[in-house]
Amino acid sequence: MTFLTTQLHDDRQFEVVYAGYFDLLVQVAIHKFRVPDSEAETLAQDVLISYLRKSNDVVDLRPWLIGAICHASRHYWRLNSRIVPTEMDTELERADPASMRILDSLPNQLAAREALECLNPRCREILHMRYFEGCTVNEVAERLGVKPKYAQKLIAKCLRRAEALYGDKGKTQ
Amino acid sequence: MSDDPKLVPFDRGKRQPDPVKVAEFAATARKLQLEREVSRDVVARLLRETPYGHWPKLAERAELRNSGALDELSREVVSRVDRVPLESLAVAELATAVASALPDDAYPHVVLAQVRAQSWKDRGLALCYLARYSDALAALDRAEQILAPYGTLAHDRAIVLLARATTLQEAKRYDESISLLAECKSIFEDHGDTRRQILAAIAEGTLLHRMGHFREARTAYLEQLTKARQLGDRTTLAGLHNNIGHSSIELGDYQTANQHLDEAIQLFTELGQTMRVAGSELARGRMFVRMGAIEQGITHLHSVRNQYLNQNMVEEAGLCGLDIVEAQLARGASIEAEAFAWQIVREFTAAHLNARAITALGYLSEAIAARKASAATVENVRVFIRSLRRTPEAEFVASA
Repeated sequence: MTFLTTQLHDDRQFEVVYAGYFDLLVQVAIHKFRVPDSEAETLAQDVLISYLRKSNDVVDLRPWLIGAICHASRHYWRLNSRIVPTEMDTELERADPASMRILDSLPNQLAAREALECLNPRCREILHMRYFEGCTVNEVAERLGVKPKYAQKLIAKCLRRAEALYGDKGKTQ
Repeated sequence: MSDDPKLVPFDRGKRQPDPVKVAEFAATARKLQLEREVSRDVVARLLRETPYGHWPKLAERAELRNSGALDELSREVVSRVDRVPLESLAVAELATAVASALPDDAYPHVVLAQVRAQSWKDRGLALCYLARYSDALAALDRAEQILAPYGTLAHDRAIVLLARATTLQEAKRYDESISLLAECKSIFEDHGDTRRQILAAIAEGTLLHRMGHFREARTAYLEQLTKARQLGDRTTLAGLHNNIGHSSIELGDYQTANQHLDEAIQLFTELGQTMRVAGSELARGRMFVRMGAIEQGITHLHSVRNQYLNQNMVEEAGLCGLDIVEAQLARGASIEAEAFAWQIVREFTAAHLNARAITALGYLSEAIAARKASAATVENVRVFIRSLRRTPEAEFVASA
């Protein structure tokens, strides 16, 4: 095998590894450790890149990658729980002014459901918990496995996204 | 619109990676692969062609400023550490200089952290072999600091922890070492890295053996046998059998010791590791002496000693000779013991070995002549001569 073909062969191998494991790693971070979507993707990317320097050393790839994403996810929460302070429950239950404005633009259940349909699955889940199941911010946080403060941010972010997407949908209809 | 329950459930459909990130991954893969290829012989050649004193200047060479060359430097550190630890340290210092000078955008940040941490870990290893334990721990601190922000690099961190545990063990800080070994063993297990998991377990066994917990040490080794067999790692398997043999001798379980030493000798022989065969045979010779079969033991030890002499390994032959001296003393043959001790002195002198070792051996010979020597005197000299490998400037203190 020439140097060039060796290189191509390895390139293809690496691409196969990426295609085969990226989704799995993201799912592990999200579902097992409740890491937010975008951060989960970053962690999965870092795990796959860190593997590149160890490709000659790793005997069993799947457990190695899963071990790495599990440790990365735990580390993520160790850092995150240090950064995000815990707030009083009363403060958390106070309505986000931005959210109130968005809620005004979603006058009934039907419109809300249509808005939810425009969202990604993660936001759909979050807003469904909060506004259809009637969960408190603390309950949403508990179910997501995140801090209440962060859950509140996610809810507000998803509402803003719903407003934007629903508005766009309305314009095209 | 109905209350369709399918509206909300989480969609677990396959996630499509961001093309920009795929491109970053592919570019990094290509770059690292290419650097591995082009650096293969560069490092060995540069080290060969450059005088030892000028090695630090190699940090300026452009061909060393990449991940592939740093991997090669790492291999050079490890391959030299046992034979020429000072050279190993010089290579490690060169590697840390090169790694620290890499531009921050040379690689993705995780790769850069891996490269830099590896160079500091290797530096710690070389310093440990030179018995500069506090410097070694400082280098390992540096490696850990580099890795700390990246949870993704838990496996790299575990490798540094294993090096730290080994260093602490050498520095006789056993309690700290054992907790680190448990931690890194668990991380290796999480990553399915059976080979390093076994290495950590062997380090744990060695630590227990040093602490005099021979039964626990043997249990630690025995637990790894099946894994090593399944892994097909015959070198590790042979080492495990050898260690089980040593622990069993200390426990007075000579039958088990003999059985495992047999296995070790057979495997080392198949692997062509003749000097490790001699090491296991040396243990068997000691075992015969312990069992009271002194004549058989002395004959066996002479045979091992001849193997060392045939390989021009005068120091190893001398240490083996001390076992013979001890056996002679045990059977009350002081004249033979004294004569043999002087013979070792002559061999050490002829081979221009460390003058401090010769002083210690001279002291032993005189103590035997004065009928003041015991097994403890021999052990004291043996430990001192071994310690000179790491601390060649140490002074002999006659404590027994």
